Amino acid sequence: MTKNELIAKLKTIVEPYIQDEEAFKNLSEDTDFVKDLKINSANLVDVILDVEDAFDIRIENEEMEKMMSVKAAMDIVNSKFSAK
Amino acid sequence: MIGNDLVDLKVASVESNWKRPRFLDKVFTIEEQQLIMNSKNQHQTVWLLWSMKEAAYKINVQQFGKRFYNPKKLVCHLSSSTIGYVTIENRTYYTRSAISKNYIYTVASLNYLENYKSVIFKVENDSYVTQSESVKNRFIENISKSKGLSFQNLSIRKNIFGVPKLFYNDFKLPIQMSLTHCGNYCGYVYF
Repeated sequence: MTKNELIAKLKTIVEPYIQDEEAFKNLSEDTDFVKDLKINSANLVDVILDVEDAFDIRIENEEMEKMMSVKAAMDIVNSKFSAK
Repeated sequence: MIGNDLVDLKVASVESNWKRPRFLDKVFTIEEQQLIMNSKNQHQTVWLLWSMKEAAYKINVQQFGKRFYNPKKLVCHLSSSTIGYVTIENRTYYTRSAISKNYIYTVASLNYLENYKSVIFKVENDSYVTQSESVKNRFIENISKSKGLSFQNLSIRKNIFGVPKLFYNDFKLPIQMSLTHCGNYCGYVYF
């Protein structure tokens, strides 16, 4: 999967939970789930579970700690894929 | 230092499904999950524990300036239905919660029995922006009246960790504060 495909897939995953349309439209690697997209912290669990389901991976709590931005989510997905 | 968190129970039941597979396990320790399973009102207990974790997290971020996402690492202890504490690593935060049929609200403080002032209010419009503005305005109004400072010169700025601070023009006021909103309810706390 290319970098842009991965960003596009993450974008569809977070869409149901975002509370800032403008930040969502401009979503990039640097977008922060909480500060920019205003995803509430309980829905961040859903984002993580949806990422696990979409990519068929499991994310440990220690890895989840950093997962607050598009970039961090991409790093985790990529590391899981390279480990597969 | 102080942190608060509010959960609108109606919104939580629509926007979050804690019964989905693996949800509880990502967020709650085994002991917390047992507490939820054994409680009469599981929905209420889920969000009570959640609000305790969130309120405590808000202090932890202020203290150490490091954001992270790992709710399970913040461990809840209840000594009554509304009084408890949250531990993370070797830190302890004391919590007092208010439970109503519409919302759950928790204030966490670094010092046991901190003498803070806390207000909860309802807003009809539940859009994120309106709520966020309402809670800021109501808080500033309160400070303006109680401290005799002009409303226009007061403002709230967030630092890089997203922690809000109250300013009088460019002067940061020595007030500890925390703001929260969810669905139709807002809350602020300060001392």
